[in-house]
Amino acid sequence: MDRRELLKLVTLATGGVLIGGQMFLSGCKNDPKLGGVDFSAEDISFLDEVGETILPKTKTPGAKDAQVGEFMKVMVNDCYDAEDQKTFHEGIKALNEACEKMHKTGFMEASPEQRQSLLISLDKEAKEYQKKKNDFDGEQKKKEKEEKEKGNKDFKKERMQSHYFTMFKQLTITGFFTSKIGATEALRYMPVPGKYDGAFPYKKGDKAWAATG
Amino acid sequence: MADNTYDAIVVGSGISGGWAAKELTEKGLKVLMLERGRNIEHVKDYVNANKAAWEFPHRGLRPTQQMLKDYPVLQRDYPLNEIVLDYWAKDKDCPYTETKPFAWFRGYHVGGRSLTWGRQSYRFNKWDFEANAKDGFGVDWPIRYNDIAPWYSYAEKFAGVQGSREGVEALPDGEFLPAMEMNIVEKDVAARLKQHYKGSRHMFIGRSANITEPKPEQKRTNCQYRNRCWRGCPYGAYFSTQSATLPAAMATGNLTLRPFSIVTKVLYDKDTKKATGVEVLDAETNKTYEYKSKIVFLNASAFNSTWVLMNSATDVWSEGLGSSSGELGHNVMDHHFRCGAGGTMEGYEDKYFYGYRPTGIYVPRFRNIYDDKRDYVRGFGYQGAGSRSGWGNEVAELSIGGDFKDALSEPGKWSMGITGFGEMLPYHENKISLDKNTKDKWGLPVLNMDVEIKENEKKMRKDMMEDAKEMLEAAGVKNVYTFDSGYQVGMGIHEMGTARMGRDPKTSVLNGHNQVWDAKNVFVTDGACMTSASCVNPSLTYMALTARAADFAVSELKKGNL
Repeated sequence: MDRRELLKLVTLATGGVLIGGQMFLSGCKNDPKLGGVDFSAEDISFLDEVGETILPKTKTPGAKDAQVGEFMKVMVNDCYDAEDQKTFHEGIKALNEACEKMHKTGFMEASPEQRQSLLISLDKEAKEYQKKKNDFDGEQKKKEKEEKEKGNKDFKKERMQSHYFTMFKQLTITGFFTSKIGATEALRYMPVPGKYDGAFPYKKGDKAWAATG
Repeated sequence: MADNTYDAIVVGSGISGGWAAKELTEKGLKVLMLERGRNIEHVKDYVNANKAAWEFPHRGLRPTQQMLKDYPVLQRDYPLNEIVLDYWAKDKDCPYTETKPFAWFRGYHVGGRSLTWGRQSYRFNKWDFEANAKDGFGVDWPIRYNDIAPWYSYAEKFAGVQGSREGVEALPDGEFLPAMEMNIVEKDVAARLKQHYKGSRHMFIGRSANITEPKPEQKRTNCQYRNRCWRGCPYGAYFSTQSATLPAAMATGNLTLRPFSIVTKVLYDKDTKKATGVEVLDAETNKTYEYKSKIVFLNASAFNSTWVLMNSATDVWSEGLGSSSGELGHNVMDHHFRCGAGGTMEGYEDKYFYGYRPTGIYVPRFRNIYDDKRDYVRGFGYQGAGSRSGWGNEVAELSIGGDFKDALSEPGKWSMGITGFGEMLPYHENKISLDKNTKDKWGLPVLNMDVEIKENEKKMRKDMMEDAKEMLEAAGVKNVYTFDSGYQVGMGIHEMGTARMGRDPKTSVLNGHNQVWDAKNVFVTDGACMTSASCVNPSLTYMALTARAADFAVSELKKGNL
């Protein structure tokens, strides 16, 4: 699984491209802004638990073993723009509130089963939301093209924020599979293959190769 | 050397500069190679070559907001990545202006873009050198395939190019090292294409400058199938200045390398009508130096070689050395791409791949050759690959949890995708020029880009998508989709033209030996010299043209003609 494939995987699993550091062919309304909101130690543990519910420990390690909370902090602070950062931080609160609403308890206090049913419902919600966002983005792109053809160079696309759960899920997946423990234990890591075999035997259950390039 | 005097000066240390230095020093000339950026030492300075994903703060996944700010140009495509950030010029330090959007991705350091290049190595075919004369776009090349063929062989043997001999006229065979292997899906697709198109379309392993047999004389070992080439290879397994030409030039004892040396002009003597050397601005101290030589090779990358010419001999020609033709800065070309098709391949569940191959497959041009006739001229080739996805099939349907994780951990379906690389015509009005109102970090005027693709390229892009779809479907690929991800000129990172070769000083900047018509001891052998673009990756042609020009230059020098 090379880096490009991992990015494809994230798109497939969440319906949207990996958020953060977006490379635009043309400008967007939001200028890059620097600096991040602080993450508390509680935030990090919270994100570890969210990650662990998305990718739990089974026969292989889980997201918490890969410290995805810490990874999310770095990615959000460095690669997200200000609006996405805001969505992310508000998402921590929103997820907790959704848990209160569904299970009458905070996420940290909830049982594994409660956490699971909550995130299954949030995942559904986020996927539906993402579909709408993709339509919206598509419309904006079309509009931008039309405006450009009309000669309006100053047109800037409007933006629809991402769903916070999409962010959590994307960063859990990427953080886990690019971590040492994820790449070497949940996948097969092979830094120096030394040869190429284009018809290498495979049997069901064999792990995929981890990212190298 | 005393008085800053050398036999030859080579400006630039990338693919063509490295070759110029190697050839000239091996022929006994004392050579000064000037590089505008820092030095990068082979192996030692490839600091990220052996790092795993988790050793990068952002795992190489996304640029940071700071990187987006610092690299407004590089962010337009894949090159902006923390893993190789040090191998790209800082956009902030060296801006340029765009009348029309142009993506200019530069490598300002010893080795230039030979460190990050895609290593695809193809010969132009005989029709490429005749195309301009035949259809009337641009001017005629002053050389033909037979003039360059022995130099292709010479370049391939030294650089080390793996590939298969195919006997396809549209993509001439070369001196190849044993070919890398196509995977099982690619082999089947290739066989089905051959059958379906009755031998008129071909698919085989992409020819690349990765060695599959060691070159002990160059201290280079075989490719280890890591596909981390662009970080710099600790095995020296792909061709770069550092792995190949620079050590050869150094071994002669005739080379002096000076990093941080921005060449601001060629020094020109009106009376002898020859160059006497170059002026250098030290990028660190901002001091100016003059270096003298009998010959000058400009290999600063296409646009920068032309930039140097534009700033030279302006007392004689206001638009610079080589501008008497009116073509200096004109006829900019690149390869247009980012459109094609892909799909999934059923079956092969009991097969996977081992190792990361640093090349894909290639489909040589089949349009507008023999009896084929389209509503556009020239053609395109395809690059692509078959691969097995690194995750299970049901990922989109699964939500979260253990099963989800397991599905993500196992390989899924095989897929096959191809992207067209099309020839861009040399249009006079596609040009670069000096923008004296904008200055770079060193106070030097910058370039303005005024380049676009036109109807011929746009028509070709439709075929690039539709033919890809048709071929994949004919080969049994399922769920075939087409794509056009949008192309901005420059994204091919194959800048060509602006100081073209030709037969007539009135319509070209260089003659058939890459000599500037107006200063016969100045040679330009990088992308600037290209008269047309073909549709194949151009670096091998720069290598061959450089070796050929260096051979000519030294023989002329010996005859007292320079």
